[in-house]
Amino acid sequence: MKKLMAMLLAGSVLLSACSSDGTEGGSENAVNSGKEADSAPKEITVWAWDPAFNIAAMNVAKEAYAKVKPEVTINVVENAQADIVQKLNTGLNSGSTKGLPNIVLIEDYRAQSFLQAYPDSFYELTDLVKADAFADYKIGPTSVDGKQYGVPFDSGVTGMYVRTDYLEQAGYKLADMQEIDWKKYIEIGKAVKEKTGKSMVTLDPNDLGLIRMMIQSAGAWYTAEDGKTPTIAGNAALKEAFELYKEMMDSGIVKVNSDWSQFVGAFNSGEVATVPTGNWITPSIKAEASQSGKWAVAPLPKLGTTEGSVHASNLGGSSWYVLNVDGKEAAAEFLAKTFASDAELYQTMNTKVGVIGTLKAAASGEAYAAADDYFQGQKVVSDFSAWTEQIPKVNYGMNTYAIEDIMVVAMQAFLGGKDVDTVLKEAQTQADTQIR
Amino acid sequence: MHTEKAGLNQHIGKSMNGRTRIRLTGWFFMLVPVVMISVFYFYPMVQALLLSFKSGRGSNLQFVGLDNYTRLLSDTTFLTAVKNTFIYLLIQVPVMLVLALFIAVLLNDDRLRFKGFFRTAIFLPTVTSLVAYSVVFKYMFGADGIVNKFLVKLHLIQEPIQWITDPFWAKITIIIAITWRFTGYNMIFYLSSLQNIDKSVYEAARIDGANAFRQFFTITIPLLKPIILFTTITSTIGTLQLFDEVVNITKGGPGNATMSISQYIYNLSFEYTPDFGYAATVSYSIVLMVVLLTMIQNKIGGDKRS
Repeated sequence: MKKLMAMLLAGSVLLSACSSDGTEGGSENAVNSGKEADSAPKEITVWAWDPAFNIAAMNVAKEAYAKVKPEVTINVVENAQADIVQKLNTGLNSGSTKGLPNIVLIEDYRAQSFLQAYPDSFYELTDLVKADAFADYKIGPTSVDGKQYGVPFDSGVTGMYVRTDYLEQAGYKLADMQEIDWKKYIEIGKAVKEKTGKSMVTLDPNDLGLIRMMIQSAGAWYTAEDGKTPTIAGNAALKEAFELYKEMMDSGIVKVNSDWSQFVGAFNSGEVATVPTGNWITPSIKAEASQSGKWAVAPLPKLGTTEGSVHASNLGGSSWYVLNVDGKEAAAEFLAKTFASDAELYQTMNTKVGVIGTLKAAASGEAYAAADDYFQGQKVVSDFSAWTEQIPKVNYGMNTYAIEDIMVVAMQAFLGGKDVDTVLKEAQTQADTQIR
Repeated sequence: MHTEKAGLNQHIGKSMNGRTRIRLTGWFFMLVPVVMISVFYFYPMVQALLLSFKSGRGSNLQFVGLDNYTRLLSDTTFLTAVKNTFIYLLIQVPVMLVLALFIAVLLNDDRLRFKGFFRTAIFLPTVTSLVAYSVVFKYMFGADGIVNKFLVKLHLIQEPIQWITDPFWAKITIIIAITWRFTGYNMIFYLSSLQNIDKSVYEAARIDGANAFRQFFTITIPLLKPIILFTTITSTIGTLQLFDEVVNITKGGPGNATMSISQYIYNLSFEYTPDFGYAATVSYSIVLMVVLLTMIQNKIGGDKRS
């Protein structure tokens, strides 16, 4: 029977979209409009995911704003990211804005997909958000044709989380991890595997985050500057990243995982020596209190042969957007007074939640300079924000995830023994047909 | 009695009003489901068909004629998804149906004790939530999962099998999962129609000297033919629409090794920059395949008269 339901879904994406949104949003909207008519206190609804991070940060902003404008109620609703993406797509596509929030959090890789697919559905913030106040690389995903739509939020700046105790057992020091390239990293990994029996890194073959980090460190992406033309064949950074990935897999230093909980489990249980990823993993690393004092953060290794590769890259990260629905002015004002300008607020968010913002003014604050005992007294936040400024700017375009799926297939073919140039050429052909 | 009946006939015959009213009532009862089906079934189907001739991002859809259909044929992701689906179909459906039939015949044996217990135990997977059982399977078949631990401890394998992350084993895992979930469901159909076969037929066959095999192939199978056809068609349709298991166990990976057509439709609509037009085209390809396969199965297995 359920298969029949799946069939229905397949056949009538549109209709089901309308109906589910209609029922859900009806009452909420009625409440909203009723309040506005009375010019009574306004309510702003916010959608975000991850209660430990994004929602916690939004609550900090909410508290701060309550002191400035107590008559505005901010209603933060938790949704899984996949649900937000799906609800936005169905809601915006149906043409009915009922049930949609005023403010929504969107991942940077997806932002252009929404901004360009639903051009009139987002409220322009150019006058309220000063683009040059934020880290350069955040502006590409959050704006279209010079018009600013998003308030850049967290930095996805990457680092190499290292278990220094494993490193020492293998005869290396933290200093040996500084300013290296990936070849050297693999070499250290082999030593670690040999001496400690631990894997160097854990990877999910369905998630090419490592490849994305590697290529962005060289200012390259799956697509060209315009964000549309796939540049897969003949992409030097991508080719080198592919070869390194295979080398890692072949050298036996990788513990394969297949989802997030296995990924987190791998380092919490002490099975891997390093975790190259975005700084937002810090809370998950620290969740294992018994490993306190064993971790440190090194800069990300760079690509050895591709020119222009630096020791800084980005993974994930998201920004706030205002939807073009009733109450947009109030929502925009809230974001302008908090996330878009308040450097003090970012200090609080950093101390309380661990957020590293992308507002440049926030980087000089106290909280960013604090030493972290979990990381052997290293000033990790200050290190991360220094790296944030070096992240090469790329245009993620609107097809990151569509191409990613093609690349995952290409990677499987490459790992299976095909020639790297051939698989990249095939991926290029598939991307050319799929992206239009 | 006689007079009463005549009187009734006369009564109805006299007043055309009464007859019309009965007829109208009938039409009214018919109207409700007809309207419901039209609004909730046919209307979306027609809309989806129209949608399949459009393409574009999100709400900016334009008519592109048959462009989507030509794109379909050169789309390697779609072709891989179709190939995977047919691998599931050709391996999983026969295995499951043979297994279901086998279990049904065993459970139909009069000498079997605790019949109710076995029947419940085998049917139980059918009532579990698709997502819940998929997640459990994912962890059981994980690299450090209980299945690998068990096999390694028994020294059946040296290295843990990459059930989820190897292209070949991932397909096997999906097949094992669907078989576990749906065998009991099909078994119930076989069991109920086995119980409808008159015992005297078998008795007669035994007197004529037919052994168990002979009885099975010349009595059981022919008498179950309609129900076998039915389960084959529903299982085929079910497999073509495979979604939950693949999404939850392997996410379609590694690469596209386990991607099903329904999952590709989902990705096109919600995972990538939405192209609902092309997604509708892919949906219609399933419709086409279901119709074709059902026609073939009816031709091969169906009754000549129908």
